[in-house]
Amino acid sequence: MNEQLIHSKITSMEIDVLRAVKQRTLEKFTEGPSVERARLFFLLLPYFDEKHWSGEIEASAKTVSIVYAALHAHDQVKENASATKKQQLTVLAGDFYSGIYYQMLANLNNITMIQRLATAIIKVSEKKASFHDGLERTTAELDRSVQQIETELLATFYNFYGFDNYTPLATLMLSYIRYKDELECLQGGSETRIIRALNETLQHPLHTERWLLEKLDILHDQISLTINSYNFNYDLKNFMLHQITPHQHRAEQLTREG
Amino acid sequence: MKLKLLYSDLKPELDMIEKELEQAVDSESLLLNDASLHLLQAGGKRIRPVFVLLAGKFGNYNIDVMKQVAVPLELIHMASLVHDDVIDDSEVRRGKPTVKAEWNNSVAMYTGDFILARALEYISEIDSPKLHHILSKTMIEVCRGEIIQIEDKYKLDQNLRDYLRRIKRKTALLISSSCELGALVSGTDEKTAAHLRRFGYFIGMSFQIIDDILDFTSTDEELGKPAGSDFIQGNITLPILCARKNPEVYSLLKNNLGKELTEPERLHIVKTIRDSTAIDEAKAISERYLQKALEELAYLPKGNANKTMRKIAFFIGKRKF
Repeated sequence: MNEQLIHSKITSMEIDVLRAVKQRTLEKFTEGPSVERARLFFLLLPYFDEKHWSGEIEASAKTVSIVYAALHAHDQVKENASATKKQQLTVLAGDFYSGIYYQMLANLNNITMIQRLATAIIKVSEKKASFHDGLERTTAELDRSVQQIETELLATFYNFYGFDNYTPLATLMLSYIRYKDELECLQGGSETRIIRALNETLQHPLHTERWLLEKLDILHDQISLTINSYNFNYDLKNFMLHQITPHQHRAEQLTREG
Repeated sequence: MKLKLLYSDLKPELDMIEKELEQAVDSESLLLNDASLHLLQAGGKRIRPVFVLLAGKFGNYNIDVMKQVAVPLELIHMASLVHDDVIDDSEVRRGKPTVKAEWNNSVAMYTGDFILARALEYISEIDSPKLHHILSKTMIEVCRGEIIQIEDKYKLDQNLRDYLRRIKRKTALLISSSCELGALVSGTDEKTAAHLRRFGYFIGMSFQIIDDILDFTSTDEELGKPAGSDFIQGNITLPILCARKNPEVYSLLKNNLGKELTEPERLHIVKTIRDSTAIDEAKAISERYLQKALEELAYLPKGNANKTMRKIAFFIGKRKF
């Protein structure tokens, strides 16, 4: 499967997901559902890798994407802001998407998947809450929380359909994408809950920036090695490497320049 | 008389459910554990579990099966409350600080997501596609109701049908589903389940209308928030719809809707509605739903459960706060 076909399949899935959660008022007043293409790629990875795939698996993959959208909507609710119309509807958007994914799985009679995803949501919520509990954590602990937040739902999906072998790669790549976004936020002067937690642990934003750059370098190397350990075809391998190449070696540059 | 006394026969089962609820919100995150227990211990009427159990009495009642539905329905209700407090920016619920006030909005969001997921984890022990179809549809409709409520805020010229459709989704559907699911898991016949579903719907409608009336007729202390809060927040409820028929009252409401009210202005609006015929008119509509609920009970086998449902219906019609 070439790069164009991969993009086209992801787009088709994106359209299906957006259609499933379409709601006029939410569309008008909120940022709309967050359907990240990187996550869709990983949900579809077994398909791209020509493993057993069916309409039922694809429908389940869509529901996982909707759960991500639901939890993401609730991440957008400002910590201490008062209730604007946008904020009110963002709360409801998350709840609405949750209802949709539940209904979709109920329509598929996939009750076991409802339960597995519910367990995964519990774990993700617990990890997200850990960024607000005021307890001191090491960077390794924070890193584990970030990994779990990013990949728990996907790992549950893989596990359910026997695709566990993709979990290590997805964990590395989704963590990479998360930290890349965090670095951009930090350099752009905004503070996220992850940046705040890292600042508290590392005690200075400059240390946080260095930690993020080094982490990205480490992840980059790990991803390259891991991708090569799979029997992916040339196009698929290239597609994944293409996702991370522009960001490599920034820590080294900072060291040389700084 | 307190509502809980009406279903004192169910006390052992409700105590069991209370314990299950505590276990259900147990989390490896101390923060989520504290926030969920904070919400749970604020109390509540537990009306949804009560209706699940009572509906189950019309079939093959087995508490171990019934609690598989009763617990998650209460959890779903709790999850919606903790999110509603973020939506309404509420500082106090049942006389205690809300989760968002005690911690912050983000913690409230994660607490709600956690509790809802626990509910689904719990109820998915039941392998009944029909049950999950009903519940998932209800959850979506409840959300739609809340979305419409936000859309309809500050619209004084909306009609009665808009209001009724909103409260159906917001309140009546979950109570109706509690009755229907209780019937379903206890294996009642379809006719009985349909009567119970309709009973729940009519009771739910009446319950919400009375709630909306009490927002004007109760004291601040009884409500645990300022009387007239619905109006202050722009929610157009039945007493307001009835009161606006008087042109003078309409002008008063129109001129003050969405405005930051002074204390005398708020009290004046509350008094105007309280002294108008609106309260009686709204009560009459609630009474009609109550009668319909009682009619449904007449189709069901006589017995303790029927009697208790009847008593609850009468109580709801007469409750003071």
